[in-house]
Amino acid sequence: MIEGIGGPFRRVNAIARNTFLEAARNRAFLGLGIAAMGLVVASLALANLAISDQKARVLTDFGLFAIALLLVVIAVTMGVILVFQEVDRKTFYVVLTKPIRRYEVLAGKLLGLYGVLAIALVGMAAAWLVALRIQGVPLHRDMAPALVLVWMQAAVLTSVALFFSAFATPLMSGVFTVGFYLIGSSLTVLQDHLSARKGALVTEPTARALARAAVFLLPDLGHFHVGKELVLGIPVGWDYVAAAGGYALGWVLLFFSLAVLVFERRDFT
Amino acid sequence: MEEVIQVEGLQKTFRTPFVQRKVVAVREATFSVRRGEVFGFLGPNGAGKTTTLKVLVGLIRPSAGRVRVLGGDPGALSVMARVGYLPEQPYFYDYLTPRELLDVFGRIFGLSAGERRRRIDALLERVGLQHARDRRLRKFSKGMLQRVGIAQALLNDPELVLLDEPMSGLDPVGRKEVADLIVSLKDQGKTIFFSSHILADIERLCDRVLILHRGEVRHFGDLDALLSRGDRREVVVSGPWPREMEALPGAGEPQRIGPDVHRLLVDREQTGEVLKRLLGAGLEVLQVSDRKVSLEDLFMATAGEGPVGAREERE
Repeated sequence: MIEGIGGPFRRVNAIARNTFLEAARNRAFLGLGIAAMGLVVASLALANLAISDQKARVLTDFGLFAIALLLVVIAVTMGVILVFQEVDRKTFYVVLTKPIRRYEVLAGKLLGLYGVLAIALVGMAAAWLVALRIQGVPLHRDMAPALVLVWMQAAVLTSVALFFSAFATPLMSGVFTVGFYLIGSSLTVLQDHLSARKGALVTEPTARALARAAVFLLPDLGHFHVGKELVLGIPVGWDYVAAAGGYALGWVLLFFSLAVLVFERRDFT
Repeated sequence: MEEVIQVEGLQKTFRTPFVQRKVVAVREATFSVRRGEVFGFLGPNGAGKTTTLKVLVGLIRPSAGRVRVLGGDPGALSVMARVGYLPEQPYFYDYLTPRELLDVFGRIFGLSAGERRRRIDALLERVGLQHARDRRLRKFSKGMLQRVGIAQALLNDPELVLLDEPMSGLDPVGRKEVADLIVSLKDQGKTIFFSSHILADIERLCDRVLILHRGEVRHFGDLDALLSRGDRREVVVSGPWPREMEALPGAGEPQRIGPDVHRLLVDREQTGEVLKRLLGAGLEVLQVSDRKVSLEDLFMATAGEGPVGAREERE
């Protein structure tokens, strides 16, 4: 069959729309709205506890951290059930027997979830900015790049969760993905220890080998954390965001390809 | 006649988790389905019917053998664009309405917005779900979900329709409607391949049947020919059954149906010889009548060959 270039995009788009609709109609999405409101309230409460000249710093740092954490929670919880739920409920039987390639289904699911993450980010960012305005904290132009980086981190973690969910249970996938997040967020610290002249990673050869392997094999999520720069007024810049985007895309493509490899070989019994 | 499904030596084995025991779900199955016919796929639970159907739509890859559907590989885009498939006990996205669900599939098929709207309305009318078209699928009964499943299987106006237990979950009215639908699809020149446990439906609707047991093809062919091949005569005799009576050619074991009254099923060709021996043994022949084999007889005879379930082999 000869098909136009629009065919794959059309099919991926159909799955992505459906995934987005599924998430949007899920009651968990309502929980997200509540979490965003909680973010505003918590920010206001925290600001009242802070020393007056540290108020802006606390609100900025806490707000960005909370948004990043909530987005990671969404990415992991929804990412790990992305494929598993469809297999478990057998909804894939009617989707995969349509004229659509398996990797197109996975791409659609992933893109649909990226849309959900984007909407969630916009909602939480709006709540954060409202909290900042209420407290009279001036908005910084580097806040937008910082938020985009937060989304990129969630995008990488979603692809990791998708890979695990192609063959493992949601619980196992969740544990593995959170492990990725924790180690990936600590790689900068690991690198510092590896380059130090003393310490456990110098004296313990096994620990050093493991640390080197982690640095080499895992995505360094520290590239997406710019809370410190934002607080200290160090410019982030869109050129940095673009470079980080390339880095994120590379990891997303790697994990997506691994997920496709597993998924393509799978029997749906 | 053109064959739309060709299966040669199909074998599918699974491995059980942990102990890695090899389970043969389908063994050396060979059959074909002709264009325009209604093909019945029968077998007791665990016979390998659903596995075979899933191989035909590309959900499961065969371990060995050759499978061609509409001249292509199962699951290929060009093939699936012309195939409609209803899985056993279908399940759909809870949060969608039937219209939204069919719209997603319509987009995958590349139908324009106008065409999607037109086909979806017509199909929901056809399966009797127009009244529930904007209700979430979460609130649907099993029978209603089955109707949605049939609608999605027909959305692309397929040449070949594969239905796994299409009557499952339907009330008698629903079953009649599905049977009528199958007849009307056949009238439109479509090929229908369906599995069912409801033998009366198979006997009424199908041109040819295949009976699968323990993953092996036990009977395959024209339904009338299969049933007439098993045609026998029933002989009822009166008198004490002689203890020294030798086995009668082409006859089953005599069944006692009354005091000194016995019934025998005899091959049509051997009837004369059997009657001669019975009379020679001093028995009185009360009745000789034709006994047509029903699909149920054939099915039960096949299903009774041993414990139902796939064979297992330890490597």
